[in-house]
Amino acid sequence: MARTFKIGIFDDEEKFISSLKRLKEQKHSVYEVFTPYPVNEVLHLLKRRTRLPTAAYFFGLFGIVATLMFLYYTSVISWPVVYGGKPFNSFPSFIVVTIVVTILTVTILSLALFSGRSKLYPGRDNTIFDGRATDDMFIIVMDTEALDEQSAEEAGEIMRTEGAIEIINKEIETVYT
Amino acid sequence: MYNRKIRGPLIEGNKTVRQITKEVVAPLETTPGMWWYIAFGISSIAAAYGVYAMYITVSRGIGTWGLNNSVAWGWDIINFIWWIGIGHAGTAFSIFLLVLRQRWRTSINRSAEAMTVLAVACAALFPLIHMGRIWLAFYIIPYPNTRGPLWVNFNSPLFWDFTAITAYLLISVSFWYLGMLPDFGTIRDKTSSKIRKAVYGFFSLGWTGSSRQWIRFESLSFVFGGLAAVLVVSVHSIVATDFAAGIVPGWHSTVFPPFFVVGAIFSGFAMVMTLMVIIRKIYRLTDYITDNHMDAIARILVFISLIMAVSYLVELFIGWYSGNEYEKYAVIHNRVAGEYAPQFWGMILCNALIPQLFWFRKFRRNWVSLLLISLVINIGMWLERYNIVVTPLSKDFLPSSWVTYKPTFIDIGVFVGTIGLFATGVLLFMRYIPMMAISELKGVVNIGNKEED
Repeated sequence: MARTFKIGIFDDEEKFISSLKRLKEQKHSVYEVFTPYPVNEVLHLLKRRTRLPTAAYFFGLFGIVATLMFLYYTSVISWPVVYGGKPFNSFPSFIVVTIVVTILTVTILSLALFSGRSKLYPGRDNTIFDGRATDDMFIIVMDTEALDEQSAEEAGEIMRTEGAIEIINKEIETVYT
Repeated sequence: MYNRKIRGPLIEGNKTVRQITKEVVAPLETTPGMWWYIAFGISSIAAAYGVYAMYITVSRGIGTWGLNNSVAWGWDIINFIWWIGIGHAGTAFSIFLLVLRQRWRTSINRSAEAMTVLAVACAALFPLIHMGRIWLAFYIIPYPNTRGPLWVNFNSPLFWDFTAITAYLLISVSFWYLGMLPDFGTIRDKTSSKIRKAVYGFFSLGWTGSSRQWIRFESLSFVFGGLAAVLVVSVHSIVATDFAAGIVPGWHSTVFPPFFVVGAIFSGFAMVMTLMVIIRKIYRLTDYITDNHMDAIARILVFISLIMAVSYLVELFIGWYSGNEYEKYAVIHNRVAGEYAPQFWGMILCNALIPQLFWFRKFRRNWVSLLLISLVINIGMWLERYNIVVTPLSKDFLPSSWVTYKPTFIDIGVFVGTIGLFATGVLLFMRYIPMMAISELKGVVNIGNKEED
């Protein structure tokens, strides 16, 4: 079922940020914002956090352990071969492969996590709230279902007074953020 | 933090955010000039020559190359190291400057990364065709097989090399593609062509530019940055170990890994400069790739050339100081005054002496001198690899096995072919992918400008 969103469009980063600040001060729930480039202040205001680096750390641990286990299994258990009198488990010469394969493991798994969490994958529907958000406009989206009529009015007024060049209501069937 | 009085704005011409989109996307939306078709034709002919040479190599064997019993590594390995070295700069440029928060990288990183991917792909061809029986190349992949299972030699630097290059190529491609997602989204939403909308829409993977996507995007970029920085250093160290682990005089040296890494960044930065001079001249992107950008790269090059000069001196010194007659013969007599003296002195001239011109401001600010010196450095770096690979092998321990190495028409063909493939790739990149990271440029548009001060 289609949902209705109130969308404020800004052509200036500062006006957009001050509008967002006022909306947050007055406890209006902001559904999402869209910007043509990352604006750090917005990420702080909306308290956006990501645990991707933590996940990457654990992917790294997994990569190290799995690679060393694999090297041990192949070189000591499965088919031990003597290379110039070295012990089967010639650990120091395993380090290079372990580092490289660990980096590759973290890369692939982090990318998969990013793709999954951000819902970015080939063939995804490209419907977005406003196409100008990827060019030069800063967009605040408010979900009207989460606001009562008076709050929606107030939020619209705040965005207007802070310098939104356009405020529109838009019905969207499938929402991607 | 960033002082305009010292460095000037990152982007000149007081651009607006909309202007950036328009100007960076413009080359993708217009038909290229005649120069593009001519360049594409020439590079395709060169690539075709390469394909022919590779066909001869694969169908008749590597006996068609100039290799012999003593010089078992020749142009193939020289070219391999040369390309992989060039392939280092893109990531070095993007990653080191990203981690160090040098925001002037934004105008250049995309092209440098494209160069990395293409150069590493060219480099990867050489070990593959050097195997002789290329259809058995998959033997090097460690997987449970029916041959025992017989595993590969995990203690061999040659296997490390395979792992490192495969990982480097995959990570470079991932990092490059990740950076392009927001730009593909921009083109998708801006273009009026249905075909472009569909194609760039597909490759944008549904990018919206939401705060959630941006924070994950930034975070992942830094994770990749931290990882690839390690890889940049390790890949060429491993390539160096291919040599240093051998007992051939002139190769068996602990200075090789740092020497190779620095040399790789040197040649890569020189190639970045060559490309940047051409791109900014043809597409009139001087507001984005400013004189200050070129100046900064030239300063880095002159600094690295000093490290290279010291490395060459250290090599000579250790050759003498080791007291080993073979070592002394290989690095001093054979190179400095022997049969291969022209290559040695060419290397010194191109890598250690000519780049010193960058101490002078007028050479750092003139596009002709920038282009010529960057090309000279790349020739010098090729000669350096020639010195490393060929001179010790051609005259090693036994005078009875001394030979002179000469490449064949097929050796030359494979090399010319990879240059053709690289140039073709660069031309396609200019035509179909934004040459600069649009979203990153927008983020730095005001830095150093009046409003920011």
